[in-house]
Amino acid sequence: MSEPGREAGCVRFFCTAGSGMEPFLTEELRRKLEAEDVTQLSGKVLFSSSVRIHSVVELKAAERLFLLLKHESPLQLSSLSSSAKAAAELKSRLLGDRKQWSSAALTWSRLQGELSQGRGAAANTSSTPRGRRKEEGRGSEEQMEEEKYCDGKSGKSGKREGEQREEERESRGLRGGEEQEEAQTLEKKRKREMSCGVEELILEKRIKRKNHEEADEKERQDEDDEEERRMISSRGSVQSGSRKEKDRAEDGSVENMEHVKPAGEEDQKPAPLSRIRPDITSSVTFRISCKCTGSVSRLFSSQEVSRVMGVGLSRMMNWKVDLKNPQLEVNVYLSDDLCLLGIPLSRLPLAHRSYMKTTGLRSTVAWAMTSLAQIQPGSCVVDPMCGVGTILIEAAQEHRAAWFLGVDIDDRQLQKANENIEFAELRTRIQLLKASSMALPLPSGSVDALICDLPFGRKFGTKTNMAANLPVIVAEMERVLRVGGALVLLLSPQLSFLLKKLLSPKDPTPPPGSEVCPCPPLSSTEQQTVSTQPGVKPSPPQERDTQTGPQPPPPPSSLKHHTTLRVSLGAIDGLIHKYVKVDV
Amino acid sequence: MLTSHVKGVTKGYPLLIKATEVKVNEVEFNPQFVSRMIPKLEWSALLQAAEGLGHRQDLPAELVSEYEKDEEFLKKVHRALLEVEVIEGCLQCPESGREFPISRGIPNMLLSEEEA
Repeated sequence: MSEPGREAGCVRFFCTAGSGMEPFLTEELRRKLEAEDVTQLSGKVLFSSSVRIHSVVELKAAERLFLLLKHESPLQLSSLSSSAKAAAELKSRLLGDRKQWSSAALTWSRLQGELSQGRGAAANTSSTPRGRRKEEGRGSEEQMEEEKYCDGKSGKSGKREGEQREEERESRGLRGGEEQEEAQTLEKKRKREMSCGVEELILEKRIKRKNHEEADEKERQDEDDEEERRMISSRGSVQSGSRKEKDRAEDGSVENMEHVKPAGEEDQKPAPLSRIRPDITSSVTFRISCKCTGSVSRLFSSQEVSRVMGVGLSRMMNWKVDLKNPQLEVNVYLSDDLCLLGIPLSRLPLAHRSYMKTTGLRSTVAWAMTSLAQIQPGSCVVDPMCGVGTILIEAAQEHRAAWFLGVDIDDRQLQKANENIEFAELRTRIQLLKASSMALPLPSGSVDALICDLPFGRKFGTKTNMAANLPVIVAEMERVLRVGGALVLLLSPQLSFLLKKLLSPKDPTPPPGSEVCPCPPLSSTEQQTVSTQPGVKPSPPQERDTQTGPQPPPPPSSLKHHTTLRVSLGAIDGLIHKYVKVDV
Repeated sequence: MLTSHVKGVTKGYPLLIKATEVKVNEVEFNPQFVSRMIPKLEWSALLQAAEGLGHRQDLPAELVSEYEKDEEFLKKVHRALLEVEVIEGCLQCPESGREFPISRGIPNMLLSEEEA
């Protein structure tokens, strides 16, 4: 069951996360969503939260978001004698009872409603204190319905309790006070209640409208709704066990009715969602996706599990299986450590950002790096090898009052970065510059935070080798950073090793850039004092002076190591290093 | 955004801006952001840059104290800082005279090998 927590309004979710990202996600959950009961597993984090769903889908460190259906101890099937028994055990463990599924479907529907409701609207915080999701959910349910039929405008607005919702669209599920009470009741009930009164009216209207709509599902739904309506009108009685109507029992929606305005528009185009609350229990189409590892997979393949469950579920709930385009998708994870069922809340993973046009580094990892950089309002943050600007954009989305500079040597990358910035509408806060990271045209100590994803490959720039240039690059970074500023780097394991050698205390040599000519040579006239290796790219003065010998002088770095974390970048792993500049 | 005041260039600071194409955008005013940026600017550099672009407007010659509260002032800074954008032009080092071209809003500050 969707473990709606003991208190109403709290929904249990889980997110998948890339390897190494789990701690970031946990921290983000606590900080942004005040999540409770956070359980961190390998690759997944479970949590409960009662904030608006819109905040939940804004999570940056997560891959995908699911509504938790079941979280149980791992299945012990190997001890069973026959595969038939095992299949039976599987079914009974995983399927559970109808209520769980109905309520999960309801919750899911509701959340979907809230989500699409709020899509256009600004996220306004619920005026009513609760802001409980549930509460909103309820409203959204109504909305959902409305949406189904029409744009869900008007009409539903009345929330019970006179909580006036603004136009559906706008209100985004703000439901006020009434919800609170509702909250006490079962989720379903709540949903019902809200929708009850309003729905009735609305539905009726809608029904009329519907007829104009061509959407099949609408019609279907309409019918269902109609039925429900009738049921509801009796108010006060629970009906059709399998339908949510039960929930309608609660009254209280009466007030809402008053608020219900005729859904004026007919513009009801088919609701964006095909989720239907009311008939979700009756005409849901679903599909099961299963991932099996460990001992369970020896007995059953993922497909077999999906099949067994699919058949069982469809029988139990009377839902239909639709492999191509189901309304509801159920994800099952079975391993030796856990048994987890969830319903994804969106088709696209959260990691897919709506504001990014061309990605370079994974957005989740980029965000994780920015979370380490200690960015404050007013900070000046630089990425000396910004590429297409992924890190800067993630950072700018998160920190609205900071200023960002991206530097890259490659025109094409800068071009894409420019497009990305335009796309994300961050033009005013992110500046681009074409320059070499080995000669940053910035004064020393002028940057508050420096975040960089260093190219892993051997190719750096056009000809030179990354590893060979690492000392110079790091030195420049160190130079422009101010004392107290953070340096966050993403490196391949090999480069990480080099970096460590570079920055660990060794024989003292003049600290790079801290005394001599603070800025990189910009024009020949200025740099007579600087040394020269004209053949090489510009480099910080004194370093080059001393660095005539074969071994690069290890600068007694003013960079103090803070953390190193390993994250998965898909096919390979990377290491995130954080350093803070201290006074030397 | 005029950046020359935030990032400097060697002793060659501030860079002079010579623009051949300037665009003025409309940007949402965020007073907190602007007031946080101000301490990072070298005021005279900003003035000079804005003037060079013909967009000095009425930026005062000196930074007023308590600018955080002065919304009018912040708005002026906001305009110069965030709304005026140099699309084409160049940045010139006051000391060496070396010019760095700005193309499509992005300055190119790569040094050639001899200049290293």
